Amino acid sequence: MIDWVRYGPQAVLLRFAESVGEDAFQLGRAIIAELQRHPPAGLIECVPGFTTVLLRFHPSQTENIPWLGKYVVGQLAGLSSAVAPTEAAIKTIPVVYDGEDLVSLAEEKSLSVGEVIRLHSEPIYKVYLLGFSPGFPYLGELNPKLHTPRRPTPRPRIAAGSVAIGGEHTGIYSVDSPGGWQIIGRTSVRMFVHEQLCEASKPDEVFFLKPGDRVRFVPVEGGAR
Amino acid sequence: MNAEVFRVVRTGLGASIQDFGRPGFASYGVPPGGVMDDHAAAWANRLLENSPEAPVLELLLQGAHLEVLRTAWLVITGGDAHCNLPLWRILRAHAGEHIVFPNSRKGLWTYVAVEGGFDSPRYFGSASVYPRGRIGKALAGGDVLTRASGSRLALPEGVAGRAIAADERHDYANPPLLRVWPGPQWDLFTHTDRSVFFQQAWTVSPQSDRVGYRLEGTRLAPAQRQILSEPVLVGSIQVPPIGQPIVTMRDGPTVGGYPKIGLVEPEELSWLAQCRPGTQVRFKLVT
Repeated sequence: MIDWVRYGPQAVLLRFAESVGEDAFQLGRAIIAELQRHPPAGLIECVPGFTTVLLRFHPSQTENIPWLGKYVVGQLAGLSSAVAPTEAAIKTIPVVYDGEDLVSLAEEKSLSVGEVIRLHSEPIYKVYLLGFSPGFPYLGELNPKLHTPRRPTPRPRIAAGSVAIGGEHTGIYSVDSPGGWQIIGRTSVRMFVHEQLCEASKPDEVFFLKPGDRVRFVPVEGGAR
Repeated sequence: MNAEVFRVVRTGLGASIQDFGRPGFASYGVPPGGVMDDHAAAWANRLLENSPEAPVLELLLQGAHLEVLRTAWLVITGGDAHCNLPLWRILRAHAGEHIVFPNSRKGLWTYVAVEGGFDSPRYFGSASVYPRGRIGKALAGGDVLTRASGSRLALPEGVAGRAIAADERHDYANPPLLRVWPGPQWDLFTHTDRSVFFQQAWTVSPQSDRVGYRLEGTRLAPAQRQILSEPVLVGSIQVPPIGQPIVTMRDGPTVGGYPKIGLVEPEELSWLAQCRPGTQVRFKLVT
């Protein structure tokens, strides 16, 4: 059942699932694919959340938002997760599991470091959305045994490529930035190659991932930092 | 022909090139960015007959110092930093002159626009600099700014200048009651929380920047502390567990997990943007 709520003068937030999971992921992809194929009048962009999709409209549509909300829900009524677009290839990300929070996280969970690595690298993760900083993926679903709250005080600088756990999600820092997630490893794969950004760049050329992708972490032996 | 117009002698507390931002890339985690006070920046471009998208120079508070390298028409608008040139009117700046912004008196953000607009690289369609996300670089002392070709400005014979109407100049120390739309989590806030939010004057915190403005006052007590992360629009009023609202600004994150009680009417967000720390603001619900 897809529901909607107005979000300011020019936007609609669709809510299409109660919780994350394969069905929600597929339905979210199907909704975005349908809206890209048949965009309602004045649609500027569709932004995915875990169980939500934000639709932003041109300011000229302000008076029509209540109507557009109902219209879009009607347009999407027949969709199901079964009509999702073709599967994305699984992208592989090598990870050196030597992050500064790895040992303390394992101790807190009464797991060995090896078990933490196995539990983290076992699933094929779904890229639900990108956020926090350009190209930073929110990946799900993380094994509940690894769910860990963010650090009470964020670190002032976390290096790009740090693989981290924040709450129920895992992700990869895309640029050097402050951050509060628990760092468990690092990858040489760049989420955002900002050095190559030029005027002609398209997002897919500088961002490694996009919403809807699937990824697998592969543990590798560490080299020098 | 692009021409060198200014040398940045000092940036002061912050200087960057901005235009009206890059909406449309939130799916990649890229915030829209753009000028903090779109009202003041738009007037600067309008007086110069620039296109509305022409990049302008955005200065934070005070301390900036520019040297004019080539005579050009320009307009300065926005925050009053005791500039040696008048604001809100078209000016002829002559090669060799210096423009200084020594002492902030009103507002936070000052804009300098030049005829034709500044020439600056556009990433994802916009010249707006977003250093935190590694999209473009903030300006540094010694940088030279060039202006784009294609100025359409030609003041009629005998017209010495052009200024904006006095009532279009915002008095940044006295923002009006700002209109707020109900946020997506409006229903999660109790009647008491809503009253606390709309009935008090909030104080803008010193912990405010292009990412977000924090508001200080009687705290809210959101019943639900976190939600599943969802897309966030600029102007959203997020309420973290501590109960002090944060208004998402132009460079704010594109997703968030705090309940949103409301969204500041986009046309009025520029008022909030110019509120210095300590300024009091009040909100009213859009009806």
